[in-house]
Amino acid sequence: MARAFLRESEGLVALLDDGERTILSGLMQQTRVLLSPEIEPTGDAFDDLVASMGVSLAADQGASGADAPHRDPALDRLLPTAHRGDDEVAAEFRRLTEEGLRQRKSSNLDVAIDRVAAASEDRVVLDDASAPAFLIALTDVRLLLGERMGMRTEEDAEALHAAMETIADDDPLGYAMAWYDFLTWLQETLAHALMGDGDDGDDGDDV
Amino acid sequence: MPTASLSLAPVEEEVTSVEEVVSPDLPWVTIVWNDPVNLMTYVTWVFESYFAYPRTKAEKLMMDVHLKGRAVVSHGPRESMERDAEALQGYGLWATFEKDS
Repeated sequence: MARAFLRESEGLVALLDDGERTILSGLMQQTRVLLSPEIEPTGDAFDDLVASMGVSLAADQGASGADAPHRDPALDRLLPTAHRGDDEVAAEFRRLTEEGLRQRKSSNLDVAIDRVAAASEDRVVLDDASAPAFLIALTDVRLLLGERMGMRTEEDAEALHAAMETIADDDPLGYAMAWYDFLTWLQETLAHALMGDGDDGDDGDDV
Repeated sequence: MPTASLSLAPVEEEVTSVEEVVSPDLPWVTIVWNDPVNLMTYVTWVFESYFAYPRTKAEKLMMDVHLKGRAVVSHGPRESMERDAEALQGYGLWATFEKDS
């Protein structure tokens, strides 16, 4: 059974068993595939920035980004429009930023996948550098999972949770929802641990 | 008293284009929209991490997003707002930028 992220002498540590790590890693990898940039991140921030500029400039003809014919709708949640009401401004912004955003998100997911793979004796250990990347990666995984389940508004979320009461045991939606809730719990504990909560523990924030 | 004379000089009228009526210096804003996925704790953490806002301000903005559906999280010139929106999208928040109205 999993244990939440807690601050220990080694860093922020959660206990996740084999099965939990396999699913978590699988979901992170699926998110990583969807977000894959045209040019894979090298790990060098400057090189990546230069590479993404080239792609942004090349993307001029509208063959990529939001105009692409087979764009996965989940991408509109992971890389949403940045201007409501002016499609031209939104398209221009996307052209200039999408590759860079894909690179940053992919690189966060790479860090997270690596930390899960590096677990020893069920201990997933994060340091100050990997903890924010892991936290942000969990957001993108939850955004993707939420989108796949049709969770786009607060009402959708409530309806989905209500539906869990009567759902059949073998319904894949129930399975997805259980993992979504698991990731929500994991992310919540990591955010609290990262923010040093415990010394000002008067906030019982929930979803 | 007007004198009725024929003039070929162009009529000097105050012509103001639509663009100029809207002050070019009007600041732009970055807006974060509510969504059912992002956690209240996480949104607070993002505002603290990215903007270096103190906890109380970060929590106030987070509550505005949560209860009112959206909050203006920063304002300034367009370039800065585009940068903020891009950064916040990097965190997975639904951020947009627009001219303040």
